[in-house]
Amino acid sequence: MKKGSRFSVSVLALMVTAGVLGACGSNNGNSPAANNAAGNTGGEGAAAKDTITALLPPVSPTYQENFKQMEADFNKLYPNLTLKIEPASWEDMTQKLDTQVNAGSPPDIAFIGSEGISKYKQLDMVLDITDTVTPEMVADIDEAPLEYMKNGDGLYGLPAYMEVHAIGGNKPFLEEAGIDWKKVQQSGWTYEEFREAIKKGVVKEGDTTKRYGFVFATAGVASKDYLAILVKNAGMPSPFTKDLKYAYTSPNYLEVLKAIRQMIDDGSMPKEISSVDAGKRWNMFLTGQTMITGKGLAVFENSSMKNNEKIDANDGSAVKDSVKTDYVVLPVPTFAGQPAASAAVVDGYVAFRGKKEPTAEHKANVVKAAYFLASGQVAAQTNGDLFAAQITDSGRKASESLPSKQSDYNKAAVQYLLSTAAPARPDIPAELGAKAIKLETEVIVPKFQALLAGETTPEKMFEDVKKAAVDTFGEDGVFK
Amino acid sequence: MARTASSNRNRLNRGDGAWGYAFIAVALVVYTLFTAYPVVSAFLISFQEYKPLGSTYIGLDNYTEIFKSSLFWKAIGNTVVYTILTVPVALILSFAVAVMIMPLRKWMQTTFKAVYYLPAVASGVALSVVWLWIFDPMQGGILNQLIGAFGIDSQNWLGASSTSMFSLVLMSWLSSHGTSIIIYVAALLGIDDSYYEAADIDGASFLQKMWHIVVPCLKPTTLFLLVTGVIGSFQVFQNAYLMTGGGPDHATTMVGLLIFDTAFKYFEFGEAAAQSLVLALMIGFMAFLQFKFLGKDVEY
Repeated sequence: MKKGSRFSVSVLALMVTAGVLGACGSNNGNSPAANNAAGNTGGEGAAAKDTITALLPPVSPTYQENFKQMEADFNKLYPNLTLKIEPASWEDMTQKLDTQVNAGSPPDIAFIGSEGISKYKQLDMVLDITDTVTPEMVADIDEAPLEYMKNGDGLYGLPAYMEVHAIGGNKPFLEEAGIDWKKVQQSGWTYEEFREAIKKGVVKEGDTTKRYGFVFATAGVASKDYLAILVKNAGMPSPFTKDLKYAYTSPNYLEVLKAIRQMIDDGSMPKEISSVDAGKRWNMFLTGQTMITGKGLAVFENSSMKNNEKIDANDGSAVKDSVKTDYVVLPVPTFAGQPAASAAVVDGYVAFRGKKEPTAEHKANVVKAAYFLASGQVAAQTNGDLFAAQITDSGRKASESLPSKQSDYNKAAVQYLLSTAAPARPDIPAELGAKAIKLETEVIVPKFQALLAGETTPEKMFEDVKKAAVDTFGEDGVFK
Repeated sequence: MARTASSNRNRLNRGDGAWGYAFIAVALVVYTLFTAYPVVSAFLISFQEYKPLGSTYIGLDNYTEIFKSSLFWKAIGNTVVYTILTVPVALILSFAVAVMIMPLRKWMQTTFKAVYYLPAVASGVALSVVWLWIFDPMQGGILNQLIGAFGIDSQNWLGASSTSMFSLVLMSWLSSHGTSIIIYVAALLGIDDSYYEAADIDGASFLQKMWHIVVPCLKPTTLFLLVTGVIGSFQVFQNAYLMTGGGPDHATTMVGLLIFDTAFKYFEFGEAAAQSLVLALMIGFMAFLQFKFLGKDVEY
């Protein structure tokens, strides 16, 4: 080998090696630590340049299209600050964030559900912004959703919206079955009333069921939503009682399990319900195979309207075999004489920290960015697209000029559901919350799948859950 | 003069040796960073309660935890059942297809090999979506329509404990044999024709030729496919994750899925590392047994 070639090869080999080492060893440029560099220069007051990174999923259908505009608007508002948005799909969001968190270099802000805060708090990776949010910001945001962003004494983000996971019916089918849906929207219903209603909704041709009364997505992990939404209306608005005892050992829990099995055995729900996923149940709703579906969000009214428009226009992209539907927001029935407690879902902009402690200046900038995303025009547009209620005064004001296709009766129904929303429980310690999640994943969801498939009884499942709860929280840690 | 030439050659050899190391350095560094380092790191993490901002040493607690866990043993049991049901059938099917392809013309061989290899190129997620459609529990599901033609009631394939594992096994039986088929075909082509000619002279039947020539000659290939098949099967994750999520009632929870859940659902990376190391030891032990009992008379 000639000397020149040897030299070239050596240099190339060294470069590749150094490149690989460098790539692995260097910090992510987007990490708060890297971004803090601007903050660390200090001494330049509020004018110091800084970059805030945000990992955001497609919160609404138009949300990600507006990222460039959002970045530009933020920079216009704070010329020294740059908002750098990293888009992520819903499928990738958790994995992307988890990877960044575990590598110690998360984004400054990520859009996640409030229930995820305890998970990241356990790792000490969320940023307490209690001392950084201004009184004006707090005054702008509704109290109930803001409470959801708290854990213990800390506030870890700002809420984007507060939605209610309920159920929804097809108006023509409800009326055909003689159900006074307007009354139900305004004052709710008991399980006994609901059971009779969904029986009336069943349409059969011989032995074949052409339409079910009620179909809820329960395949895989979706089953936990079904159970969680129902038990809230059975006197268990949270997995823990106010004195922090595990609540799902209550006899009311057994009543809900019995009801779930009853609805399948009545023939009001498909016997194959354990394999019906979210896509399938929505398809069943649009194709007229069910009268009521769950879980239901207010935005489904929009999806239903869009499909109707396609049917009218003979558009081939309308759902195959679909019929025209009219989505009606309905509350979940109550059990055992307990008061209604809607399953509120608060998602928002949670602040994260990296390996290095962020400077006060950078922290303030992160809060400014989170507030920019959670309020005013951005919130108005996003929540409008989602048919979700505005939860900030500035958002409400900005939404006045935006057109809305949501029907008045569904708007009112959402307000009723929000008024009965289960309150936030920031008092539940992160460690206790994590144990409950593990119990839910390892015991409740698998046993519940077996119950839906008819492989276990409500009583046996209840005993299994009770035993696991006692093993996890101790005899004194569970409700008796 | 001779000494000078020899010393020049030694110098040259020394230089080539150094260059050899220089050339493998890149691969070695990549191997060290992306294979050896993660293994060592997983070993260390398995003795810790992992946190991004600082882990705590907890000795053997993670190992104690997993050995006490009934779910871990259930997952091991499920994985063993899945392996026993899938690997031997996969070998038999691949071997049979390879034997059937052999007499065909070259272009037809290539076509069949490409067709059988196609699922390996397609995305696993896309394949799972197709299979979810096949296993649709409602009456419109393809498999339910098929069994309906024989008067059998619709089955909740993925949603019932009695059929969920079988469904995953069926999915494995009917796909992903492309690589094994190609390897078997290559091995069949390597068998010297003189063996078949001698057998023909002796009046051996097709089955006798299979048993006395093909099977012994393909033993190294079969052993290779068996060992890699068992390893792959023990690491199975995607099918269970996408098709059943491990349910119902953990009927399809495999060790790979359990490790994923432990790490990414509960953020217990220490315990997940311990689980993965125990799995690695089990796979190593299985491979050792396979080589010990099946590899005695295998020549490479």
